[in-house]
Amino acid sequence: MTTDHISIGHTDLSNRARSLFSHYSPAAAVPDEMIGRDGGVRDHWRTLVRLLDELGPVELEKRWATARRLIHENGVTYNVYGDPDGMDRPWVLDALPLVFSAQEWAGLSDGLIQRARVLDMALADIYGPQRLLKDAIIPPDVIFPNPGYLRPLVGARPADHRRLHMVATDIGRCPDGSFCVLADRTQAPSGTGYALENRIVVSRAIPEIFRDCHVSRLATFFRSVRNLLQAAAPHNRDNPRVVLLTPGPYNETYFEHAYLAQYLGYTLVEGADLTVRDNHVYMKMLGGLQPVDVIFRRQDDGYCDPLELMPDSTLGIPGLVQAVHAGNVAVVNALGSGLMESPALGAFLPRMCRYLLGEELKLPSVTSYWCGDEESLRYVLDHLPQMLIKPAFNTPRQGPMSMESLSAGQLDDWRQRIAADPAQFVAEEQISLSTAPVIIGNRIEARHIAFRAHLAAAGESYDVMPGGLARFSISTESMIVSMQRGGGSKDTWVLSGGPVDSFSLLSPPGLPMEISRAGGDLSSRVADNLFWLGRYIERAEAIVRLSRGIVGRLVDQNFESSTELPVLLEALSRQAQIDRAGEHGKVGEMEMEDILFAPTLAYGLQATLRSVYTTASLVRDRMSIDTWRIINRIDSDFSAGDLRDRRLSDRLASLDKLMISFAAFAGLAMESMSRGLAWRFLDIGRRIERSAAMVQLCRTSLCGSEPPPPNALEAVLEVADSAITYRRRYMTSLQVPLVADLLLADETNPRSLAFQLARLQEHVAQLPGNQHEARLTPVQQILLLRLTELRLMEFNTLPAIAAKESCLQSRLDSILVDIFQISDLLSRRYLTHAAPGRSIGASASTR
Amino acid sequence: MAVYRIRHLTHYRYQEAVTVCHNLAHLIPRDSPGHTWTQVELDITPDASRTTRLDCFGNRTTVFTIDEPHLELRVESRSVVDLAPPRTSALFPTSPWEAVANLLRGKPEDEWLAAAEFRFRSPHVDWTEEIRRWALQSFPPGRPIAEAALDLAGRVCTEFRFVSGSTNVSTQVAEVFERRTGVCQDFAHLTIAALRSVGLSARYVSGYLVTQPPPGGSRLIGADASHAWISVYVPEYGWMDIDPTNHLWPLEAHITVAWGRDFSDVSPLRGVILGGGKHEVTVGVDVIPADAEFDERSEAP
Repeated sequence: MTTDHISIGHTDLSNRARSLFSHYSPAAAVPDEMIGRDGGVRDHWRTLVRLLDELGPVELEKRWATARRLIHENGVTYNVYGDPDGMDRPWVLDALPLVFSAQEWAGLSDGLIQRARVLDMALADIYGPQRLLKDAIIPPDVIFPNPGYLRPLVGARPADHRRLHMVATDIGRCPDGSFCVLADRTQAPSGTGYALENRIVVSRAIPEIFRDCHVSRLATFFRSVRNLLQAAAPHNRDNPRVVLLTPGPYNETYFEHAYLAQYLGYTLVEGADLTVRDNHVYMKMLGGLQPVDVIFRRQDDGYCDPLELMPDSTLGIPGLVQAVHAGNVAVVNALGSGLMESPALGAFLPRMCRYLLGEELKLPSVTSYWCGDEESLRYVLDHLPQMLIKPAFNTPRQGPMSMESLSAGQLDDWRQRIAADPAQFVAEEQISLSTAPVIIGNRIEARHIAFRAHLAAAGESYDVMPGGLARFSISTESMIVSMQRGGGSKDTWVLSGGPVDSFSLLSPPGLPMEISRAGGDLSSRVADNLFWLGRYIERAEAIVRLSRGIVGRLVDQNFESSTELPVLLEALSRQAQIDRAGEHGKVGEMEMEDILFAPTLAYGLQATLRSVYTTASLVRDRMSIDTWRIINRIDSDFSAGDLRDRRLSDRLASLDKLMISFAAFAGLAMESMSRGLAWRFLDIGRRIERSAAMVQLCRTSLCGSEPPPPNALEAVLEVADSAITYRRRYMTSLQVPLVADLLLADETNPRSLAFQLARLQEHVAQLPGNQHEARLTPVQQILLLRLTELRLMEFNTLPAIAAKESCLQSRLDSILVDIFQISDLLSRRYLTHAAPGRSIGASASTR
Repeated sequence: MAVYRIRHLTHYRYQEAVTVCHNLAHLIPRDSPGHTWTQVELDITPDASRTTRLDCFGNRTTVFTIDEPHLELRVESRSVVDLAPPRTSALFPTSPWEAVANLLRGKPEDEWLAAAEFRFRSPHVDWTEEIRRWALQSFPPGRPIAEAALDLAGRVCTEFRFVSGSTNVSTQVAEVFERRTGVCQDFAHLTIAALRSVGLSARYVSGYLVTQPPPGGSRLIGADASHAWISVYVPEYGWMDIDPTNHLWPLEAHITVAWGRDFSDVSPLRGVILGGGKHEVTVGVDVIPADAEFDERSEAP
């Protein structure tokens, strides 16, 4: 047997030409996970290698193509900060898993559990009696100036006596074959959802191999997570309300937050969904405040409470810290647990373990030195080129600096920097990570790997996820294993020593599920976003309708001689809220240009389309893939740069395209959204905006001192999408009273004002708190009054303008005031609490 | 023995209604040596349920929420304090300052551990090498710590000019050092930065000054508003309060409300509001002899 070729089992030599791995040759400098020192495949990889070879490369490639499509369709992404090509990066998953034997995993688990216990006990001590400091196990210099040490949490006691419920530990294999810890994630560790998604994809792609390898299942771990969240609840321990707190769609791991919330069956919330009253946390629902018992947070400590932590955080819940002190809510992991992530503390872990547990640390970290210690500092300065330098305390997004390839001058600079304020630096010995096989194109190559193990509190101890998220470096040379910096991920298989527990959290298809119908409550924040999405999309549509009418006429008319263009242009300027300086007919192409293309014009088309997109992004989890595609198309259909210098006919075509996208969106909302509160708020926004636009249009076109010319009336009917109806009813005779009746009072015309008000009446009657009320709310009163007025209106005898109150113009003016009043009243009643607060009287920044 | 009646009123007026506000106050005085408090009350309008807890420095932190729309918020703290005279009025012999710095860096005993909390940089207390060199002029080798600290406070008082309104709550020490002007809060932060830069422990004290000076004394800067001064750790004595704004020690007219690493730990009132538009805030402090009555018409300008 030579090291040039890989031996697979006992019959490997004769088969090696056909083996997938026959050309796999990892470098000898570091251990390889699959290939042993003797050059043979390690025992626990053999079944996998044999089964993959039986499957054959062609079939594997075919299966993996399907798997990649699955990843894409499931929308698995990892957001990369500062990525100019958009923020969602598709998830990179390798078909080959990383394999661990049951025996090796058991030893590793032991070490992981011990570490987690030490970290949890250390947190309890530092936020409590501080014996670690008093007995000089750790110096005050690593706690008191540490921004991760959150003084407002000192003395807070969690109901379940635990601060660390979920721990993630990044692990690598050292050149001597032992495991060592690269980092501990203690505040809001990510990765469990990605690990689960990876498992689902891989086990579906190669189900028979997965089954025959006897891989431990992940589902039992998530059962532990659910149990611990329930056990953490200070009240209602039988049936606590648990929410998953996310910083929102811009966070790098938002996909995972949404995925886990769905998988575990918890509501996904943002800080703005929660509020504190009388030291209790509530969820802001349209139907009122709903108590929350447990917050499973995926948001960093400091951002969680702008009142007591970072005043400039807009993601937090003011008063949360006090609610924690009062013992009314559990935060998982406890606020303040980020402290244990600081590299400076990591250097003291072996001492803390001895002191707190009376045991030696079984699973060590990479050897690290806190330079605030004089002896360590001397050592680090003497051995600088072998070191990786990190800030001693967590500084967001400041990565470690390798000293390895620096010039003598650069090293001197670093020596000076470190010596100037040694307590701010930690140095780590650089280690070389082991390699594992990764499919790169149609070859199998060695990449350095690290993996993230996950632990969940269970009783007095922890459960270890049998598996985890393995990640590999972007190249053979690179030792950087990070999703932020490229590279990819792998499923991790832990072979089962005994029978595999087939427990699953996903309900089997045959199991009867409780029937649930639309009408459930909705969070105020989501309702607010849907309401504004409805308003923005309708506003954009109104501008496009008017613009299309104008651009279409510009083909054969000009601004000076046309009789209908002035009417349309005035309506457009009102819609876009432009103050027309010039007199009638002076509105020129410049204003038109601005309305269509100026990005800064608040009510112009560009800004409105931008608002459509951003508002839609905020409720993306409520949208079907098709709906999201339309939103994407709207966003890309009409970017200013493309159209500014185009011919009229091109512009017309683009406006037409936009209209069709709007129609598709409206159609999907009408046909595919269940008639719950989400749909109602989207539609309320739309109806309010459409009412206002129709009133504006009629007021501009029908209320002049002289009756408008027939072709102007025709243009108005066309813009109002009512020309066909009108023509069918009245043939060709164009009269103001008939037009007014059709556009304002005709309840069978879906564009008319009366139609909008009638829909609003229906919606409002169904809003929480209104169904069983004997008295009408102010909004209902306004709607009833205005609708009755429209029904009684005699357009034949109503003068367009007059000094008296009863003319059409003054009626429309007061209707417009009422429409905005309705919007205000609804917002105040249901939506106001959705906005983030701002800090006053506080210091501008904290360290 | 002197008994004073204190009133501290903070009044916010908003342009638009605030729908919800969450607030955090350090307005109920802490326990501190020489102070005996009675009749402590905190009035909040509109009325709000409140919770008071002890923070990690032993201050009383009050948290309250108002969830009815309001255009004004009035928070008034009233109390009576019986103030003991200072423990000593003559400078006592103290250790050389370097010995104290070494002690603080060594193995912490219970008391020193409490002091250790106050020797690091904090949100408002940062220093440059230049500030450290400036501080060292008061700290020649072997000088007793109390004498050196008083000399430093004197230099802050004479080298810097008190200019009301010249800074705000977020002004940093380096900027004050450069501009040579500030208010009591800035002088406290600067003095603390200087003391910490040479390895000593110093904390920020927030409180009040007696409005009317005792007969023969002159009115001090900082009366009519919250005042701030510093406290430096001196092993032979404990914590030694010094007022750099008025270059004073010992402190006879100073009433302690709270202490922390700097202003951010003890800000009298701060909050997170929804709505409100622009706001105006007025703050008024009265400290009068217990047998006198407040002039109820007065509210600070």
